[in-house]
Amino acid sequence: MAQQGKPKKKGANTSLVFTNKMYVFLIPALAFFLVLWIYPLLQLFYYSVTDFNGINYDFNFVGFKNFSKVLSNGTLTNSMKNTLIYAVFTVVLSNLIGLGIAMALNTRIRFKGLFRTCAYFPALFSAIVVGFIWSYVYMPGSGMIGSLMNLAGLNGDTFNPLGNFRTALYAIAFVEIWKGFGTTMIIYLAGLQTVDESLLEAGRIDGCTEWQLIRRIKLPLISSTITINVILSVIAGLKAFDYSFIMTNGGPGKSTKTLMYQVYETAFTDMKMGRASAFSVLAFALIIAITVLMLFYMNKREVEL
Amino acid sequence: MAFGKKKDNYDAQNYMKMSLKTFLLYLVIIVFCVIVIAPLVIVFSSSLRTPENQTTPLALFIEFSMASYQKAFSNMNYPMELLNSIVTTAGSVFCIVIFATMAAYPIGRIKTKLARFLYFFFISGLIIPSQMVIVPIAQTLNRLGIPNTRFTPMLMFITCSLPFSVFLFSGFMKGVPVEIEESAYIDGATLGRRFSTVVFPLLQPAIISCVITQGLWIWNDYFYPMVFISKKAQYSLPVGMLQFLGDKENPAQWNILFAACVLCALPLIIVFLALQKQFVNGIAAGAVKG
Repeated sequence: MAQQGKPKKKGANTSLVFTNKMYVFLIPALAFFLVLWIYPLLQLFYYSVTDFNGINYDFNFVGFKNFSKVLSNGTLTNSMKNTLIYAVFTVVLSNLIGLGIAMALNTRIRFKGLFRTCAYFPALFSAIVVGFIWSYVYMPGSGMIGSLMNLAGLNGDTFNPLGNFRTALYAIAFVEIWKGFGTTMIIYLAGLQTVDESLLEAGRIDGCTEWQLIRRIKLPLISSTITINVILSVIAGLKAFDYSFIMTNGGPGKSTKTLMYQVYETAFTDMKMGRASAFSVLAFALIIAITVLMLFYMNKREVEL
Repeated sequence: MAFGKKKDNYDAQNYMKMSLKTFLLYLVIIVFCVIVIAPLVIVFSSSLRTPENQTTPLALFIEFSMASYQKAFSNMNYPMELLNSIVTTAGSVFCIVIFATMAAYPIGRIKTKLARFLYFFFISGLIIPSQMVIVPIAQTLNRLGIPNTRFTPMLMFITCSLPFSVFLFSGFMKGVPVEIEESAYIDGATLGRRFSTVVFPLLQPAIISCVITQGLWIWNDYFYPMVFISKKAQYSLPVGMLQFLGDKENPAQWNILFAACVLCALPLIIVFLALQKQFVNGIAAGAVKG
């Protein structure tokens, strides 16, 4: 991205009204962005080859030891795998549920506003509050699901999704879906409302089934909304941190350690800033690769639809 | 209401089929909403019990006591935290709107490669999770001599919000007609005047969208305050909730914890219920047009 826009000297701008003097307006935003974003980002590369611990500034250069350590002790592959599972799970489900509910609400239905508010409501809560609420919901025995199971005659004590390393990651991903699908739904609803009713009417006259109307008319017409929603949820999924931090502390074992959680733990619990930086550098490369691939794919797909 | 008006080709059989379908539609939506809301209802009902009464959380609203709230209120230092949250959110959102609209002005208006590059330069920040850069950011602030106060997280909120906000405003800038500005130019308006009296007011829908999406995120975020604030008196509401982290494993504290959760979420719920329409439109506008 960086190379393509290399400026060819000014002068390309010939507008009388929109002169280059306008660039002055960029100064505050650019100052913040350069000082608190680009500069630290570059420093990350520098710290990644040192044994900096966050406090003592006489650190040593250790070459690529941090990188080889991160790769050899398996933290990178483990947290990358967890993050990808988490992201795929949340992206697919929150988009399917969001789109499904949006389509249901986009019909001539009463109490639409009330239903929409209900579905969106969880998005208002802070992740920390959501984490507490769901810690209770998942609590074996006396939690919400456990109590319901007891009520139904099942043994609620055996239900412990956060305590099992096979299910914990899915359990916290489900919390993210619960909180996030409402926003996705609102965006889909807005997209669906732009679909011209006369096209659907024409489809009905031509004898389309409901499914054909959705597949051949509605989905292609909201393809840009789908792109936006998928991208937004992929970005959110790759940033997964909150529920690993609040609900499981990365456990059981290391089954819910995501990239972000691993960086935080290495930097602030183990006080190994150098290694955390090396970890971040590798994680960026992966995240950027995934995002760029996805953008290409989505753009192509949007044209095909 | 749903079908009465479409009198033409719906015979009785068709009508029956449609109403069964409508019934199923309602059923699915209602069941779904109940599942989504259930945890919140149970939490709210438990928070209304005395701290001692922990039995049968599924028996809803059998007791209405404020004792848990009183405890949570004093444990949290609620008025102080609320004030900190309001100051942080309002201050950050104000700066974001000003800085991002200003930045989007040349980016959206000038048609050169440099402007295009700056656009991608800003939005590239969307891809990288800023929390990953937290170590060198903390070092940079340290080196600049910026102390850890309640205002430090605001700097991060502003910076991290810029990619999305610049993206949003640049998109909306296309919808502001160039002709209006050209006539303002002919009438002798200066650049600053054109921006503040012509362009800025016309960006209003995008500004509402930015305030809502970014405000929601900043109000609920606990990460930056957690990293940058050490004094308890400077905590905002979500960070204050972190002190209850140990209580979530301890069922004896649940009623108080739930009361704290309700207190933490309450201000935003009130704002949401009052401005529901703006919320829904703001969230949708940001994504669909931007």
